[in-house]
Amino acid sequence: MDYFFDYTSQITNQFIDPKKRVFLFYILISILIATAWFMINKKLSFKKTLIKIFDKKIFFSKSAKSDYKIFLINQLIMMIVSPFLITQLTIATALYFYFHTIDWLSAGMFVGIAKIYIILSFTIFQFTIDDFSKYIVHRFMHKWPVLWALHKVHHSATVLTPMTVFRTHPLEGIIFSLRSAITQAIGISLFFYLFGNSVDLYTVLGANVFVFLFNILGSNLRHSHIGIRYWKWLEYILISPAQHQLHHSIAKEHHDKNFGAALAVWDWLFGSLHHSMEYETLKLGIEKNQNEDSHDLKTLYINPFLEIRNYFFKLLKIMKFKIFNLKLKKRYLNEN
Amino acid sequence: MRKIMFKKNVLIITTLMFVFVLAKNAFADGHLVYGPYPITLKGYDGDKTNSVKYTGQMARQVLHDSLKALVKTGDVGKMMAYYNGEDNLAIIAPKSKDDFKIKQTMVSEIGSGNLSGKTYKGAVPGWGNLTGTEVLEHMMTKAGEVEGGFDPNTGFDYTQLISKFAMGAVFYNQAANNYLGKKMEIGQKPNNAPYKEGSYYTGKEHSWDEAFGYWGSAAHALTLSAEQNYNVAKKKDMASADFNGDGVVDLYSEYTFAHAYYASSYDKGGKTNYLATVNQAFIDGRQVITDADGRNLNFDERNKLLAQRDIIVDNWQKVIAESVFKYAGSTYKDIVALETIIEANGDTTDAFRKYAKHWGELKGFALALQCGPENLGETAVKLNRMMGLGPVLLNASQVVGIDSNGNFIKDQAQDWSEFKLHMLKIQKLMVDEFGVVAKAKDQLSDMEALAGSMGSADSAEND
Repeated sequence: MDYFFDYTSQITNQFIDPKKRVFLFYILISILIATAWFMINKKLSFKKTLIKIFDKKIFFSKSAKSDYKIFLINQLIMMIVSPFLITQLTIATALYFYFHTIDWLSAGMFVGIAKIYIILSFTIFQFTIDDFSKYIVHRFMHKWPVLWALHKVHHSATVLTPMTVFRTHPLEGIIFSLRSAITQAIGISLFFYLFGNSVDLYTVLGANVFVFLFNILGSNLRHSHIGIRYWKWLEYILISPAQHQLHHSIAKEHHDKNFGAALAVWDWLFGSLHHSMEYETLKLGIEKNQNEDSHDLKTLYINPFLEIRNYFFKLLKIMKFKIFNLKLKKRYLNEN
Repeated sequence: MRKIMFKKNVLIITTLMFVFVLAKNAFADGHLVYGPYPITLKGYDGDKTNSVKYTGQMARQVLHDSLKALVKTGDVGKMMAYYNGEDNLAIIAPKSKDDFKIKQTMVSEIGSGNLSGKTYKGAVPGWGNLTGTEVLEHMMTKAGEVEGGFDPNTGFDYTQLISKFAMGAVFYNQAANNYLGKKMEIGQKPNNAPYKEGSYYTGKEHSWDEAFGYWGSAAHALTLSAEQNYNVAKKKDMASADFNGDGVVDLYSEYTFAHAYYASSYDKGGKTNYLATVNQAFIDGRQVITDADGRNLNFDERNKLLAQRDIIVDNWQKVIAESVFKYAGSTYKDIVALETIIEANGDTTDAFRKYAKHWGELKGFALALQCGPENLGETAVKLNRMMGLGPVLLNASQVVGIDSNGNFIKDQAQDWSEFKLHMLKIQKLMVDEFGVVAKAKDQLSDMEALAGSMGSADSAEND
C-alpha cells in the first residue's frame, strides 16, 4: 500500500514540481507560445490553431501511447532502483575531502567575497556544467554502439509529444541519474570548499533560475510537432524546438546534429550544430518505413539488451579472428 | 432479591474498575520516576522500605565535577584527594547559584566512594598505552606542571581531557562493563540473595541501581523535557529540579550530571531522544527485577532485562559518539579560523586556546568511547591516529608519544590541511560506525541541505 502511495505521488510530482520538465505550468506556457506562433507567424485562425496543437493523430498515435506507458513503467523501475544509486552527496563529500589534500587550495579561501557574487556564480556554474555534461553524455549515446542501443529507444518515437522526454530505456535513465549526481557533486563540493557556507542557488519556485527560464521559454515544445524556429544568431546560443526536432529526423544530413539540451554553444563549438529549417512534415524516428513493432514495449525494453549482446559477440569474433590471423602470421614467419 | 444482587454486582464492578483505574494511574506515574522500589529480598526483617540506593555513584558524580573545577588550580594534591575520595571533602562543584539552592555542601552528605578504584583498568592506546587509571594520574600530574590547567607547548587542556576521559573511564566503564555487563551474567549477583552480606537489596537490584547512578540523570528526568533537564545542569531551572518541593536541589536525585547532561544537550535539538530512551529502559528494567520479587530471574525475565540493558548501553555509546562528532566539528572550525588569522598575521592566542579546548574535549570523549564493552578495533585505531596524541601546534609540531618517564615526545606534525580533513573524517566515522543523529557542529550539513534542495534526477528523462 505504501509503495502504491509512493508510486502515485511520484507520478503526480512530475506534474506539480517546478523542477520537472512537465510541470503543468510549463506545459500551459508552451501551449500559449504555440498558440501565438500559429496565430501570428502562420496566420491561422484560433480554431485551426487549437486543432493543430491538439492533434489527435499525434497524441493518440501508437508512438505517443508507448511514451505514456514507458513513463508509467519507468517511474516504477526508477523508484525501485534509485535507492541503490550513488547520491550526489556521497560524491560531493568524497570530493570535498579530496580538496583538503590539494596544497594550493584551502577551505574557505574566497569566503570574503560578497554573497551575491557567490550565489550568482554558483547558479551559472551549476547550470552550465549540467548543460555541458548533458551534451557530452548525449553525444556519447549516439557515437558508442552500446549506448546507441539504449538511446535508440528514445529515437524510435515517430511522433514527438512532451511525454517523449520520458521515452527512455531505464538503463539510460540510470546513466542520466549518475551524470546529474556527478555534475551536482562537482559544483556543490567545489563551491562549498572555496566559498564556505554562503553558497546557494538562485531559484524560482525551487528550480534553478536558468532551468526555470529554459522551461518557461517553451522547453516542452522541443518534443512536439510544433516547429518553432529562432533567429539564426540565437540558434548559435540556444537550441530552438525546431533544431531539436531535426535531431530526431531520419534524414541522413540530420544525423548526429544538435545534441545540446538548452545551450547550442556546445554544438557550435564541437561542430555538431545544424540550424533549423522550414518544413511541413519532418520524418521522425530511426529509419524509413520503421517497423510498427518498434513501439512495442517488449521490443523497447528487451531489444537494447540483445543488441548489446550481439555487439559484444561480434567484437569477440573480430578479436578472435585478429588473434587467429596474428598467430598464423607468426607461424608463417617462423616457418620461413 | 435479584434486583438487589444485580445492584450489588454493579456496585462491586464499578468499585473494582475505579480502583483499577486509580492503581493504573499510580503505576503509570511511578514509571516516570526511578524509585522508590519495594524491598523484595526474602528474609529481610529490617525497617527499610525502599530498595534503591546509589549514593556512592552520585558521590562520584560530585567528585568528578569537583575534580574538573580543580584542574585549573594546578594543585595536584587536592586533585588526588578528590580522585581518591578522601574524607571530609567539600563539594566544589556543583554549588548553589542565585536561587538555585543545592542541598549538600559536603561529598559525604551524598555518599562515599572514589574515582581511582573504579577507573578503567584496560590499556588506552590513544594515550601512550597506559591503563585508564594511569592516564588520569598522568594527566593530573601534568596539569600540576602548568598554569591554569593548560599547556601551550603541547596544546593540552587538562580540564577538558581529565573530565571528558574520566566520565568514560569511570562512569561509562563501570556501568556498561561492570554493573550492566559482568554483574548481569548468570550466577553473578543473583536476585535471590543480598548484594553483599547485610544488604537490604538484592544483587540484581543494586547492580541495576548503581548503573543508573553512573548515568547521571535526575530520578525524575522523564517528567521533564530535554530542555528542562539541560537547564537543571546549567542551574537555571530550580522549579524543574526540585521534584519533592523542599526548596533545595538534592544532588542525589534531582540534578543532571555527566553523560545524561550531554544526552539532554543533544535531545533538546529535537532530533534525538537519548535521555528519555535510556531512563525509560532503566525504569523498565528495574520493574522486571522488582516483579521477580526476590527470586532468581527466569529465562524470559532475564531476556527482557538484557533487552533493556542493550538499549541503555547502545544509547549511552551513541551519546559519547555524538560528542566526538560535535567536538571534531568545533575543532575543524577552529582550524579554519586559525588559518585565517595566520594568513592575516593576526594574534592567534585566543583562537589557539579555543582550538586546544575543543580538541581536548574531542580527545577526552574519543578516549572515553574506547572504555566501553565493545572492542572498537579499526574504528579506534582510525580515531586515535586521525586526531593524534596531541593537537597539531602552530609551529608544525605535535605530541606523538609518551616516554618511560611520562614526558611527552614531540615530532613533526601532520599537515594542517590533512589534520583538518581528519576532523571531517572523524565526523563521518561517527555517522558510519555509530549512526549519530543529532550531529551538532556538522561541517557538512549546509552542503547536505543544498544537495537535498537541488534534488536528484532519477526520473529517466531524455533531453
